[in-house]
Amino acid sequence: MTLTILFFATLRDKAKTKSTQLTLDDGITVADLKKELAIRFPEIASSLPTTIVSRNKEFAESDEVLKDGDEVAVFPPVSGGD
Amino acid sequence: MNNLQSSIINHQYPTVFKITNDPIDLDALLASITLSSTGAACVFTGMVRGVTKRGDAHETVYLEYEAYIPMAEAKMKQVADEIREKWNSVEGIAIVQRIGRLDPMTPTILIACTAAHRDTGVFEAARYGIDRLKEIVPVWKKEVGPNGEEWVEGEYLPNEKDKA
Repeated sequence: MTLTILFFATLRDKAKTKSTQLTLDDGITVADLKKELAIRFPEIASSLPTTIVSRNKEFAESDEVLKDGDEVAVFPPVSGGD
Repeated sequence: MNNLQSSIINHQYPTVFKITNDPIDLDALLASITLSSTGAACVFTGMVRGVTKRGDAHETVYLEYEAYIPMAEAKMKQVADEIREKWNSVEGIAIVQRIGRLDPMTPTILIACTAAHRDTGVFEAARYGIDRLKEIVPVWKKEVGPNGEEWVEGEYLPNEKDKA
């Protein structure tokens, strides 16, 4: 299956890209994806324990299963407002 | 009144939520959520601090804000919905976050709630709005100072309960 991965803030700076497409096995979870991202983008590996993952614009838990066509975003804890 | 009636009434009230690159027009936004029944409006606006004294004291030359726009707007709507669930006397709600490069003393965020009266939670609702936005709305700011730049990381890690 193919996923679109979006990177924001520090993750984007470290990964040096705003987005990428990944083709991965069906049925992987968010936790699996983090492991995969750590391999493909080693610069972000140390941030991943506190990285938030969203799936199709909603927060995703570690055990959530990803599906073909999902838009997954990875980002640090938010710092909006003032 | 029963739940069905109250939810129908709530859907008639103006709810503004957006991410914008434009200057925040406090007057226009307040006007857009003011109704003939409105007697009280609580407006919070946050701005870029040029000099920070609390904690790690430092100067800020500017902030750079970034957002995951479609999810940020969905989460802002969720914050508005949560406000209505907690304070059903709130009528209009406006939640606007500005992004891009913002200089000191510039408003970056507006949270405004209107109600008929001031004593049924409108102050608390606006307070909740800003605190909640800072937990779940995907916006990030980068501090650019005299000696370099650094992303500001929040502390909140969302869980099941933070889903819409």
